[in-house]
Amino acid sequence: MGDAWRGDEAKRVSIGTIEQWNALLSRRGFMRLMGLGGALVLLPGIATSCGGGDAVTGVGTPGSGDTVAIDFAAGDVAVLQFAYVLEQLEADFYSRVVSAFTGSNFTAAEQTLLTDIRNHEVIHRDFFKALLGSNGEFTITPTYSGLNFQDRATFLAAAKTFEDLGVAAYNGAAQYLTTADNLTIAGKIVSVEARHASAIRDLLNPKSADFAPRAFDDALSPIKSAAAAQDFIVDKLAFANAPAVFVPGLGTG
Amino acid sequence: MPPKPPSLMSTVDTEIIDAVETRAAEIAQGASASSKLVAALALGSVPIALGALATDLWGQAPSEVVDALQLALLLEHLESDFYTRGISAAGMIPVADATIFATLNAHESTHVSVLRTIIGAKGATAAPKPVFDFTAKGSVPGFVFASTQYETFKMLSQAFEDLGVRAYKGQLPRLISDKSTLTTALTFHSVEARHAAEIRRLRGKKGWITGGSRDDLPAFLQPVYAGEENGTQGGVSLAPIATAFGGPDGASEAFDEPLTREQVTAIVGLFLA
Repeated sequence: MGDAWRGDEAKRVSIGTIEQWNALLSRRGFMRLMGLGGALVLLPGIATSCGGGDAVTGVGTPGSGDTVAIDFAAGDVAVLQFAYVLEQLEADFYSRVVSAFTGSNFTAAEQTLLTDIRNHEVIHRDFFKALLGSNGEFTITPTYSGLNFQDRATFLAAAKTFEDLGVAAYNGAAQYLTTADNLTIAGKIVSVEARHASAIRDLLNPKSADFAPRAFDDALSPIKSAAAAQDFIVDKLAFANAPAVFVPGLGTG
Repeated sequence: MPPKPPSLMSTVDTEIIDAVETRAAEIAQGASASSKLVAALALGSVPIALGALATDLWGQAPSEVVDALQLALLLEHLESDFYTRGISAAGMIPVADATIFATLNAHESTHVSVLRTIIGAKGATAAPKPVFDFTAKGSVPGFVFASTQYETFKMLSQAFEDLGVRAYKGQLPRLISDKSTLTTALTFHSVEARHAAEIRRLRGKKGWITGGSRDDLPAFLQPVYAGEENGTQGGVSLAPIATAFGGPDGASEAFDEPLTREQVTAIVGLFLA
């Protein structure tokens, strides 16, 4: 990936600590800053304090409540950062279920399938981290409201929600990518998420029409998919310069 | 009196004739056209004018978006025709699996219809449905959707769905400036991936493609899976990332790969009568 999406350094406001972030919010206002043409960058210092979790599984410490800010003025990098947020969530979600297999009521075949998905999501997460470089040095903290990762039906219902959301989020965010390479990367990942969604749905309701409930999948604007993902993320997802226009496909809202 | 042999025009698809007649009327009313075409029309020679009009309509550099949509339509025609024939073949699909294939058939039919509508809305003419040969010119010997050929039917289904995912993906960059069409294509693309996972799992395979493996599909279908083993994405080598997470297999499964227009056309060409 080239550097075309990297913002103009001169217009960046760098924030290195939570204190600086809070001071910014109280003194000047986030939108006013953006109105002045600034771009926001979260430095590793703030990112570390957001999660501080296990680098291998991505499991963070719940309850930190920090803010993860994504500035769409950064162009493609903002879309990739949002994808990185979602992949962190998915990787954590499946890492937890794999860790909970002992004593669960998943069949051996289901454990194999879920381990595959865990592998894919961790690879997606770490791929985005590598691709984003210094723009990927932040960690989100997932939360699941006491979800029982050892109960098959409960977990699969949640997994269905996650995978369908992932598909709709990529489908809707792709229109903000400006390079063919980045668009292709999104395309390479979203179809794997759709394969996951199909498999999870088939586990829940085998050989029914549920694997693909409609001829069109959903495409959600980043604002809508972030709102849906927010339920599972302790940190506040904040968008600056979020795109004002979302173009739906035929049959999507 | 011997029966009249079929005329040139009667062998041409009616949609093509419609398009040609419309274009001829436009030119008669003053629309711009090449001097060669105007001369052909003035001569009143149907074959010459037909050829010139066809070139006028389709011979110029194709619109990127329309051409991408026509490729998607070709794929959807292949799938739709395949499932329509499959679900109407007496006794081939077991009752327990009927819902799956009814769903696939309904979706592909919708995709065909919507793609035709979009292409029309862009002022172009949707390419007509070709005549397909699901024996692939003998590479699937004797396949006629017989009640004993369900396993072969499912194999072809897997190949077509995995191909569909790759075909749409390869066309996405050509839609990058047309956000409505891009988003619509993406919402079809991910449904093709849902289909692919379902048929693969129905066949006892993983829902995702491992390496460049065609599983147990016949060798002539290997081009459907060519390049799926890719382990570098966006300049990032996945090997170190995937070490503890499935290795090269996991890395290849985690990303589906595109096929070019030429690769897709060549594969579909195997199934053209």
